[in-house]
Formats: sequence, structure tokens, C-alpha cells
Amino acid sequence: MSIIEVNNLTKYYGKARGIEDVSFSVDEGEVYGFIGPNGAGKSTTIRLFLSLIYPTSGEAKIFGKDINQHGVEIRQEIGYLPSEVFYYEGMKVLDLLKYSESFYKKDCTKRMMELAEIMELDLKRKIDDLSYGNKKKVGIVQGLLHSPKLIVLDEPTSGLDPLMQQKFFNLIREENERGATVFFSSHILGEVQKMCNRVAIIKEGTVINIQDIKSLQKDNYKKIRIEAEGLDEKRFSVEGVNNMVKDNGSINFFFKGDINLITKLISEKEVEDVTIEEPTLEEIFMHYYV
Amino acid sequence: MGIGEFSAYYENPDIIEVFENFPPAFLEAANINTLNITTIIGFFGVMFGYYALIVSVFAIMLGADIISKEERDKTAEFALVYPITRAKIVTGKIFAAIVNCIVINLVTWAGVLLLSARFEPDQKFFEFLQLSIIAFFMLEIIFLALGILLGCALKHYKRANSLAVSIVLGTYILSILSGLSDKLEFLKYFTPFNYFSPLEMSNNMAFDTVFLWLSAVITIVAIGLAYLAYAKRDINI
Repeated sequence: MSIIEVNNLTKYYGKARGIEDVSFSVDEGEVYGFIGPNGAGKSTTIRLFLSLIYPTSGEAKIFGKDINQHGVEIRQEIGYLPSEVFYYEGMKVLDLLKYSESFYKKDCTKRMMELAEIMELDLKRKIDDLSYGNKKKVGIVQGLLHSPKLIVLDEPTSGLDPLMQQKFFNLIREENERGATVFFSSHILGEVQKMCNRVAIIKEGTVINIQDIKSLQKDNYKKIRIEAEGLDEKRFSVEGVNNMVKDNGSINFFFKGDINLITKLISEKEVEDVTIEEPTLEEIFMHYYV
Repeated sequence: MGIGEFSAYYENPDIIEVFENFPPAFLEAANINTLNITTIIGFFGVMFGYYALIVSVFAIMLGADIISKEERDKTAEFALVYPITRAKIVTGKIFAAIVNCIVINLVTWAGVLLLSARFEPDQKFFEFLQLSIIAFFMLEIIFLALGILLGCALKHYKRANSLAVSIVLGTYILSILSGLSDKLEFLKYFTPFNYFSPLEMSNNMAFDTVFLWLSAVITIVAIGLAYLAYAKRDINI
């Protein structure tokens, strides 16, 4: 079953583009990455899911229910961590979390305490006195305390130190193993690579590619580096080669296609060194943005 | 606050003479011509207009702010993603604002009673004061409703706040204009400040029913529109 189903979703802010014709679907139990640079439309998409804003056209369903008509029911089962967290000042952490808890039908006190302990959150402190990183922890506890079926993360790691990031990712993995579906928006590719099964790449408001992480890394591109004297880069100007860079006796390029074609071309010449490796997600990503 | 100054006016015939030399239009504008300012009812009747302005500014700002603060303080992404409808959020905020207004009025009431005690006011004053407090409350409710409408309907909270103040000042000026000439008298229907006249209240010890109905209609329409607008509006984050 699809947990999220988006069909031709479009949002304009007046004349300004938010997202255009976005379609994808997220299966139950998946950790789905949503990557793109700032301003690509990631937060717009998420805010549409949460009915903070309403679509210009197209539709989206979460748990099989239309977001415009069943927002309240849907939000009962969503845990959301925004990219920046802001809270009412003058409240204690515990009061804020209890306030959060009061909106959900189930009793979440036990889970709330567990999460606070994992994230090393001091419940007695006042929100105003917390550092940004600590406010983010409050956000994590608040987003997960009701054991939601769908966890929506918008650039979740900003402001967390590496140790907390690790704890956070472990927590998300546990939630995922429990059965929660995760929608993970980020522009940091390393974390998406680490966490996600599939990824949608969004650029200038449009989803330009949807792939599973493995095929994105393995099946498509090879990163090839050849070192040799008097190398003529035209030799390698065959179909499937791109981003060719020549510098100081070596050439670098990405190749997509039958690898034998390239090895044959290489073997015809005397070379000093050859490396063929998997491109990182960053490099693949760069490719989509060239 | 104004009550403290009353001792200068209290049973002082010179004051009447001073006011008699003022241009009639000024007195009309200040609500002074028809009330005897040397009695405590008359004095409070004159102060009524200023209190009314203050509580109205307070109420409309409260209304606009209580809605738009979620956007201004960026807490919308926290407060508006819970499994409740926008309508419920508005309802909660309306109740909170009304409680605010009630507290303000109770404090005002107690304050005036305390400060006026030394002038040994008669029963009529207490009745007039009671009526005035109710009038303030109704003014607050009207402006609160308008403020909430602005907060709910306008996407930019800064605009909601500046428009709120303009509405209060604009209607206040209208109420002054409506008293200046018979030709402008029709303006009184367009400004809540004229709905509760201290003169009418001190003479009849009652409100004008037409204006009570008008107040109710404005409040209900404003609140209704506020719910409609907020349910459909994009939150500005």
C-alpha cells in the first residue's frame, strides 16, 4: 500500500513557483529520500502534506486519504520535524511536550519519557534557556512521541552535533523497523544515502528523477580516471561518457553503459594507472544539476 | 486614571464657565456639551470616550495578534500541524481573547469604584458605571471580532496589525465627524464608538436596541468571515 501518493501536485504562491506537477509515491515501511537544493520545493511539498498551505492543482493522498479533506485524521498519524523549530517562550519542556501529547488520542507519556532519555533532554528546563540544538531535540521528541505511522523530516539534522545525529538516525531506524514510513527531505546527500531506500530528486520545483539508492549508485554511472602519457581525450569521446575533465596527464569522466567498451578502449593504449569506482551520491547529484 | 483628575472639576462652577467659552464643535467632539462635567456621572461620561478608544485599540490589536502571532513568531509549524482543524484553533483563541477582555473590564470596574469612592457617588452613578463597563465589553467584542478577522484573512501579519490600528482610529474620527453636523449624522451607523452613547446611557440607563443589533451583526459577520478565511488560507511561514 502507498502511504503517500502524489499526483501532479502543483503549488504557486501568487505567480511565484512553489512546485510544479510533482508526482511520486511512497510505500509502507519505506525510508524515502527527498533531495534537492534550497528553494527547490522540498518544504513546499511537506507543508502541503500538513495542510499548512493548500495546493493550486493536483492531489495528494496520505494513508489513502485526500490531504484536503481528511487533514485532521491524517495528522493524527504524522510525526513532523520542521527544519527550524520555534516554540512558545516561557514554557517548560515538559509542559510543552504534555501540551503536544494532549492532541493525540493515545496515551504517549511512556514513549515521551523514553525519547527524552535517549535524546538526553532535560524536561525541567525552560524553552527560552535551551540552545538551538536542544530545541531541536525537543522537536524530535515532540515529533515521535505518539509513535506515528508516517514520520516527515525536513532537513532534520541541522543544529545537531554528530553524536546526536547518530542517535537521531538510530531512533529513526528503530521507528522504521517498528513499521513507520519515513519521508526524509534533505540537501545533505550523505545522510540520505545512509538512510533511504529510494530517493526523489527535486530541482526548481519539479521532480527530475526517482530511483532506488542502489541503482542510483551502482547500475548507472562509473567514475573513471586514467593516467597516461600523451593521452588524447578524443579517444574516449564515445556515447555514455560525460563530464570529461583533462588535467596534467590524466583524464576523468563518468561513464554510463557497457563497461567492456571502455575497458577495450583503455587496453589499446599503454596507461600508467586506471581507477574505476562508484560515484558518490554527491557526484551523481551534481550530474543532475549540471 | 482620569478619575483622579476629577477633583479639579468636582462641583466647581468655574469649570462650567470655562467650557461655555469653548467652541460648540469642540465640545461636541469631546462629548462635553451635553454632560455636566462637574458631576461624577458627567465627568465619567466625558472620560468614557477616551476609555472606549483605549479598550478598542487594545481589543483589535489583541484579536489581530492572537491569530497572527503564530506566523510572526514562526510557531505555526508547531501549533498548526496538530490533528485539529483550523476552526478549532480559531475558537480556542477567541475564548482566550474574551477571557482577556473580561479580566480587563473587571479590573477597570474595580479601579473606578475604588477611585470614585471619595466623591460619594449616588446609586445612579453605579448603574451608569455598570452600563459603561458592559458597553466597553461590547466595544471590545466588536473590535476583537474585527481584529480576529484581520488576523485570519490577511497573509501578512504586519499589515493586519497596522490595518487594525487604522480601523480604530478611522472609526473614532468618524464618530467625531458624525457629531459635528446634522448632515454627517448618518456616519454614526458606521462607527461602533457611536453605538454606546454615554449621554443616552446616563439619561435612559439603557442601550439603543438598533445599535445593539448592529453590534451583534458586525461581530457575527466578522467572526464568520474569519473562520472561512482562515480555513482556506495559506499559512505564511
